Amino acid sequence: MSIETVAPPKRPRRRDRAPEDGNVRERAKGFDKIWILVFLAPFLLLYLGFTLWPLVATVWYSFFDWSGFGPLDEWVGTENYVSVLNDDLFWFAVLNTVIFAVLNTAIKLPLSLFVAVLLTRKWLRGKKVFRTVFFAPLIIPVAMAGLVFTYLLNPSNGALNSLLRDLGIIEESVDVFAGRWSALIVLVLVSIWQIFGQYMIYWMAALQNVPEELYEAADIDGASAWQKLTMITLPMIRPVAVIIVLLALINAMHVFGLVVTLTGGGPGTSTYVVSYFIYQEAFGTVPFEYGYASAAALLFSVIAFIMVTSQGAFVRKANRLRKEYGV
Amino acid sequence: MRISKGNLIAIPVLIVVGLLWIYPFLWTISAAFKTQGGLFSGGASLLPDQLNFDNFVRAWVNAGFSQYFVNTVIYAVASTAIELVKSALCGYVLARYDFPGRTFLHRMIIATLFIPVASIIIPQFVLVDQLGLLNTRAGVILAMSGAAGALYVLLFIGFFSGVPSDLFDAAKLDGAGFLRTFWLILPLAKPVIAVVVIFQFVSNWNEFNIPLVFTLGQPELQNLAVGMLSFRGEHSVDWTGFAAGMTISFAPMLLVFLFFQSYFVRGLAGAVKG
Repeated sequence: MSIETVAPPKRPRRRDRAPEDGNVRERAKGFDKIWILVFLAPFLLLYLGFTLWPLVATVWYSFFDWSGFGPLDEWVGTENYVSVLNDDLFWFAVLNTVIFAVLNTAIKLPLSLFVAVLLTRKWLRGKKVFRTVFFAPLIIPVAMAGLVFTYLLNPSNGALNSLLRDLGIIEESVDVFAGRWSALIVLVLVSIWQIFGQYMIYWMAALQNVPEELYEAADIDGASAWQKLTMITLPMIRPVAVIIVLLALINAMHVFGLVVTLTGGGPGTSTYVVSYFIYQEAFGTVPFEYGYASAAALLFSVIAFIMVTSQGAFVRKANRLRKEYGV
Repeated sequence: MRISKGNLIAIPVLIVVGLLWIYPFLWTISAAFKTQGGLFSGGASLLPDQLNFDNFVRAWVNAGFSQYFVNTVIYAVASTAIELVKSALCGYVLARYDFPGRTFLHRMIIATLFIPVASIIIPQFVLVDQLGLLNTRAGVILAMSGAAGALYVLLFIGFFSGVPSDLFDAAKLDGAGFLRTFWLILPLAKPVIAVVVIFQFVSNWNEFNIPLVFTLGQPELQNLAVGMLSFRGEHSVDWTGFAAGMTISFAPMLLVFLFFQSYFVRGLAGAVKG
């Protein structure tokens, strides 16, 4: 997951410059060629079957009016696209997805970075326990976490309302699932709770790769802990940070299980997200609308791709500007 | 001293936040022992009103959790194994050898890293259907291990291209062929293997989307995550049974994590170093 792996191959690789930790790739000869094919085969077969072909097929289905059963013979051209583009619910779901993804990423990444920095401090006691605590929610299925929270947050006897009532903070119970915004915010918070540990571990891995010598040198210069954080740690983890941000955005845009169990898209359709919309069209309501759902899936992929790459381009541009100004 | 001052502030805060963080777990475990009535009147309390295993028995026997549990183990183990093998082999070759199309394949893998898996589930469904594997365990396993994996290939590429070429030269001098060299080098990748196994095992254990879609209407093939929905009736939810089912499902994962915890961060750090 290092930037080195993900960077375009044209750029000079670090290992070309530093032969001690790298090597040059061998040209395949003789029997090795067969072995290479054998080694590639499992990945390639599954990759073709479950990633590349589905991509192509999604494009193909999207031009048909098809329920998923029977022959694929009702070619409708771009009609599906036109109706998706005119479907208010689709755009509403896109809007919700974007709000969710942005809020989710904006809250979870800084927080998990903060906790990761804290939990990698040498002076801190009980690191192992706290790491386990923050990681724990990851081990329950997302959808199930959603169900637990529907109970904890329910207005009649959920833990939150009972506690607030007992403490006299509120008189009347609050039903967070009754309004669009409160339901969306609950979705964001529960999803952060659930995935937090994963990002904390990503950050910890990034932090471990900052060379110890830099900190030692800074100590000699008498740098404060804050200075070390802002002038060494953060700049050093920036390349990995870009990837973590991308992963976070992408993952957040595919929120599904939580929506199914936590809000079921409700109240009404007010917390529909795109994956839930696609699921409802394709599998949720009879008649199944595969062609329509495919068109929606594809349009959303394009939207997601543009959003994510523009974010990547934005980061690159910012980096370039920063270099030009020499800061 | 600064050291103790930091701990004095950080540890109480972490304990409070940590307790809040695992409250849903504690609630679930305690609810698994409660009666329905005790649960409804209990509010935020964590103390069960009784201590017996009725709910666990109901979940395990009546709701079919023994079957879900077996299915989950099969799905998680099989797909993790397939994920690991395919990404290790592919990553090794991509990192070590130059062959026509290598750069293209590498770029494709990176490009598809960000493909929304959920949005291409329909053709996957059709593919599995046409292979005649719909509503079979093999179909679920295939779908689960087929879709993901690009990230793991990249992790393995990163790791194997960092292995010093001296090692490969030495193996060659000893007369080791392609396969033998791979077997000699593979154990070095333990940290990456640990990361792949833990991440993939946890996510396969909890996989919801694929078993839901690929076993529609076949409860005997469902895993814990999907089977849990059986506690949700038309109008009400059997909450205590559900809590018992949850406890059954997350206890093994908690053990796995506690066991492999130290491997985890170290492995990921090693992999990122590439």
